[in-house]
Amino acid sequence: MLPTFVIVLREAFEAALLLGIVYTYLQKISRPQHYRYVTAGAVLGVLASIATGVVVSYLSGPLLDLGPDLVTAGILFLSVAVLTWMLVWMRQHARAIKGDVQRRIDEAESRSRLWVIATVAFAGVFREGAETVLFVWGLLAQAAAGAGWASLIGGVLGVAVAAVLALAIFNGSKAVSLPTFFLVTSVLLLLLAAGLFSAGVGRLQGLGLLPLTGELWDTSWLLDEGSFVGTLLHGLAGYRSRPTSLEFGAWSLYLLVAGALLFGSRPTRRSSPRSGIARGATPSNVHLPS
Amino acid sequence: MMARRRWLVAVAALAIGLAAGAARAAEGPQEIPLTIEGHRFTPAEITVAAGAPVVLVISNKDKAAEEFESRDLRIEKIVPAGKTVRVRIPALKKGTYAFFGDFHPKTAQGRIVAE
Repeated sequence: MLPTFVIVLREAFEAALLLGIVYTYLQKISRPQHYRYVTAGAVLGVLASIATGVVVSYLSGPLLDLGPDLVTAGILFLSVAVLTWMLVWMRQHARAIKGDVQRRIDEAESRSRLWVIATVAFAGVFREGAETVLFVWGLLAQAAAGAGWASLIGGVLGVAVAAVLALAIFNGSKAVSLPTFFLVTSVLLLLLAAGLFSAGVGRLQGLGLLPLTGELWDTSWLLDEGSFVGTLLHGLAGYRSRPTSLEFGAWSLYLLVAGALLFGSRPTRRSSPRSGIARGATPSNVHLPS
Repeated sequence: MMARRRWLVAVAALAIGLAAGAARAAEGPQEIPLTIEGHRFTPAEITVAAGAPVVLVISNKDKAAEEFESRDLRIEKIVPAGKTVRVRIPALKKGTYAFFGDFHPKTAQGRIVAE
């Protein structure tokens, strides 16, 4: 029961974390009406995971040999792109939420782009989804054969605890002030995306598309990647007890570039399009001499 | 007309045979069978030559899917129930590389020794 619990929790952990952050974010910027985008993305992610799980079970030959690997690597890099986009977007909103006019413009702008937030939810769920589906499917088969009900319960508990985690983020951060929430989630998403990026590079190394460079260090004596804390830290920030130099390079490079993009000082541009529109709205108040 | 068609068939068969032979020769890497049964790997230890890529041909005889995973090699590969999957292992330096079944890590353990 415990091993299956740990396996399922680990797979669902990242998805829960992302969904928790995205829902809370929408609540923070007072757009609960957009929850449905996130829910739709997550539901699509679950459906796509089930479909992939079924398809993989019927594939054979070269399609089965390489297909899932390429999809996985693709999803990893897509997740990185989507998370980076979300970080930049959050940063823009953090600045835009001040004025009322800006808020309205903001809202119009976000309506046209908010479907992208659905891809955050989709990518988060789909990333480990097919794997979880196949694993739980195996548990069901065992349970149906009269054995292994305990492991099935373990699997269900794993999903439940992940859901509770998402809910805890949602409820727990209600009292947190907006700037603090932005800061904490920005750092979390930054680390998460850096971890995904380095995992993608590692995947390409495993596929032989990039050379398998030597490992930089070995901290498995301190914190093994297979341990419970190790896997959670791997999911959260890409922790590797024996990283290859390419993986570590990719991780640091992402943190540097995306971190600079996020926290780097921006020149306050007076002639930004936003303030331009705000100024453009004032002439209606100006009475022209007749 | 019939003679001509027979001749065409013969040429086509020869071409296919040659192409298949060439493809097999080009495939190169040595194939090593690995069986999953009762959530265990057989053989649990595989010896390969260092510096040469190999292909693991993993057959899952169980009724449940398994995931062949090696953190050392950065490989995660789902092997659905009753299926056979080919996994390319890049040329390795001398050393020991552990792998395990991620869905049944307690029992499914093994390692590749590159000499």
